[in-house]
Amino acid sequence: MVKYLFIALIGLSVTGATALAQNSTDHSNHDKDHSGHSAHDHANHDHASDDHSHDHSEHDTDHSGHDHDHDDHSSMDHGHDHPMDAPGEHGMLHHDHDHTDHHAHGEHHHHGDGHIMDHEGTHIMGQNFDKLPSSCSSISEDIEITVRAGRKYAKKFPGTAFAFDQQEWRVKPCSRITWHFVNEDKVRHQFMMHGLPRYLYHLGMFHLENTGPRTVTGTMIVPAADETYLVHCDIAQHMEKGMKAQLVVGKGGENLPSIPGLTPYVLNDVYEAEDLPKVSDKANTGGKNAKPIMQQITDFFNDNVPISGLALTGLLLGFICAPLFARMIALRKKESSNA
Amino acid sequence: MPIRYFMAIFACCGVFTATSVQASLKLPETVKVDPAALEFEPMCDPKIPASWRKAQVIEGVQIEASEHCSPDNPHLIAAVVKGTNNISMNTLMETGLSPDTVIKTDDIDGDGDPDRITIKLEVIELNGRTPDFEGLVPQFEIAPGITPGAWVFAPKTSGMSTENFESLRANYLLRLPSPVIRVEVGDIVRIVVENTHYFPHTIHLHGVDHPFSHHEYNGGKYGNDGVPQTSELDLMPGQSRVYEFQARQPGTMFYHCHVQTHTHLAMGLAGMIVVEENRPNNWLQTLNIGGGKVRHPSVAVKEHYDQEYDLQYHAMDKELSQIIQKYNDPRLIAREMNRRYDLTDATEDYYTLNGLSFPYTLRESMIIAEPDQKIKLRMLNSGGEFIAVHTHGHKATITHYDGVEQNPAARITRDVFDMAPAQRLDLLLNTTNDGLHNYGEGAWLFHDHREKGITTDGMSEGGSMSMITYKSYLDEIGMPVVAHGIDLSIYFTKEYYQRRLPIWQHLDEAGTLGAPGVRSGFNPETKTSMINLIGGFIVGLLIYLLITRRQNASAAMASVAAKIKGLKGGKANG
Repeated sequence: MVKYLFIALIGLSVTGATALAQNSTDHSNHDKDHSGHSAHDHANHDHASDDHSHDHSEHDTDHSGHDHDHDDHSSMDHGHDHPMDAPGEHGMLHHDHDHTDHHAHGEHHHHGDGHIMDHEGTHIMGQNFDKLPSSCSSISEDIEITVRAGRKYAKKFPGTAFAFDQQEWRVKPCSRITWHFVNEDKVRHQFMMHGLPRYLYHLGMFHLENTGPRTVTGTMIVPAADETYLVHCDIAQHMEKGMKAQLVVGKGGENLPSIPGLTPYVLNDVYEAEDLPKVSDKANTGGKNAKPIMQQITDFFNDNVPISGLALTGLLLGFICAPLFARMIALRKKESSNA
Repeated sequence: MPIRYFMAIFACCGVFTATSVQASLKLPETVKVDPAALEFEPMCDPKIPASWRKAQVIEGVQIEASEHCSPDNPHLIAAVVKGTNNISMNTLMETGLSPDTVIKTDDIDGDGDPDRITIKLEVIELNGRTPDFEGLVPQFEIAPGITPGAWVFAPKTSGMSTENFESLRANYLLRLPSPVIRVEVGDIVRIVVENTHYFPHTIHLHGVDHPFSHHEYNGGKYGNDGVPQTSELDLMPGQSRVYEFQARQPGTMFYHCHVQTHTHLAMGLAGMIVVEENRPNNWLQTLNIGGGKVRHPSVAVKEHYDQEYDLQYHAMDKELSQIIQKYNDPRLIAREMNRRYDLTDATEDYYTLNGLSFPYTLRESMIIAEPDQKIKLRMLNSGGEFIAVHTHGHKATITHYDGVEQNPAARITRDVFDMAPAQRLDLLLNTTNDGLHNYGEGAWLFHDHREKGITTDGMSEGGSMSMITYKSYLDEIGMPVVAHGIDLSIYFTKEYYQRRLPIWQHLDEAGTLGAPGVRSGFNPETKTSMINLIGGFIVGLLIYLLITRRQNASAAMASVAAKIKGLKGGKANG
């Protein structure tokens, strides 16, 4: 009897715990929704908004660069042998000449497959303004999305070190996206997307890279299929430590693992309670061996010991309830026999 | 009745024991590993073009030949000699460097070479953990299948950290050791650390003439000594900091991270920095990625020497290096590494020369000599213990201790070079065959003579050993020509370092060595188990008999009891 009661109790507590856990996931889902909205906000916004210059007070980001006209760009696409100093290219990249001793080349360079790099190492790779994926008959919508990268965005995801400001973007199939990639750290960061059709994108990649606190803008067109694309920073351990996101086209494909706040890790670390000093330890003036009350409470709820406080509570409950149940059953038997 | 059964069982046991004794007289056969079962790596990395080995001129930079099987990328050498700001984009693209990695400007003293040098370094993790799959990224092997977790200062690169999206292998610029840095006396040097890692780091310029001041640098906020307890705060992830100096003295020096030095240094954040003597038109090879042969030596070195090599000896602890492979959460890594790891209980397991262990040392850290040469060796010990490097076939002369020139009259010529942690020695290796400096041509070993220095995780052949190989002992791919019958290719297998290749099996025609197979019949342990089993079985039978015949037994007992009672009763009555 007691055994069944015990199982029932454990069942109850497990449900409770799951409910708790779900609460927290729900919470993060809310967050996610929220960030999703803000993504769209960004998209609808004029990206040359004031907060840009606030964030980068130390260098003047030239926002006029965003107002590129498309004729220039479409001409750029064809150019392996494009002249180095093509006027259209300069508008693409935002410079801050922080080195007085730096002899700027003042030129940007084309390499195969729409790969552009300027003298500061700012990359645009896989840029595509007008080549429609074979699955699209026309461009469904033109959107602009600002992505911010930096250590400060890792703050809301414990256990990470770097992050993007958003972890997921949702777009319609065949949309043309202009990405504004803002690096808010003083180190290199990348916005690298994988899995795109290789006949349009070299190695299936669309890639923006900032060698320091700068903004880079690049445009690409997504195919029609419902698909989820990996977006990450490929600098060693940046993706592993949080700089990972996904672009969901249409209904999307399968979620990618280990996106902070969005999807679970495949391999998880094991966490254990640590005996860290607390103010309450100091306040406790009881016997030398007496643990402070907070410590005792923590110990009580610690589930990593063979018989936890909660299990003891369950045991007690079981002992109290057992005679009651026995009596109930006995009564019921009597009733049935009487009937 | 039961007696008969017992007899039968005992007879069985007797026969059984006799046969097993018979079987144990014959010991197992020798098992030979078929070489076809091994996965041989090419001794030379096939991805490296042969054209890299030739002497050549790129961007007007003279690059010496390197007969090594893994020579440095000549475009890379041209880029760091001229500065990434002074070369064509095509050359730059051949290197994978960022356009701002090495910036050279301003010939201040008008002697024909740039005097403002900016060097950008990132902090890169090798063989780290990923939460997505069981495996390490980006991978860097120090020997076949040996992938200790490590951190390095790496030149600022461009693009991916791996070779490509499909590969897990690290981009060739991301490797052990941290790069050798070369600057000139009088250069205004700015080393910019861009902390791309998830932990704080700094750079301490050990032995380099640098100001301490935390009044003048970085807006009065930070000093220049890299020490978080004296000169500056830790440089946090995502931040960058400039270390600035104008050295007045030349010498072979040392730079390393000074945050949690007891772990960060051993993890690989340690490299050689050389201050060269000032000469006119002295365009230096600012970075020597992976150390080894300097293919564009300084003017001063060329005045006295035919060749120059940078040799960094380093050691790593397996348990320390595994921490970053066990945990993904930076907080857990920090706790394990800096609160729970006890360095005083630790032992070094991996001994490397220029970031690699034997046999990979043969690919790029051999000293390739010709007779009657003067070769400059710059050695640094960045490991945690004394080392004792022995040169077979040669006695070399110590010209500098810790970058300071030794009085020529008091110089010591010897064949074992002991170096305390962080010490540097400059050696003159004279290949004149006079019975003192050299005993003739050959493929001469040079190795740390603490014998653990020639092991990898305690098993030889491995560790930091390499060779002084004369050109007459060098084959066309840049590997040493060793004596007839010696096969170096077995070291280029993962199975060797998994300890699965029996020692001496290939030499042993008689079959007296090699791996023994499994013994036929029962081994002693199985025999004991069998005896226990049979014993148990017999006891079981006895108990069964006892229970089934209980009534008889209790009757017997009752009668006995009755007898005793009877006796007692008799007594009482009596």
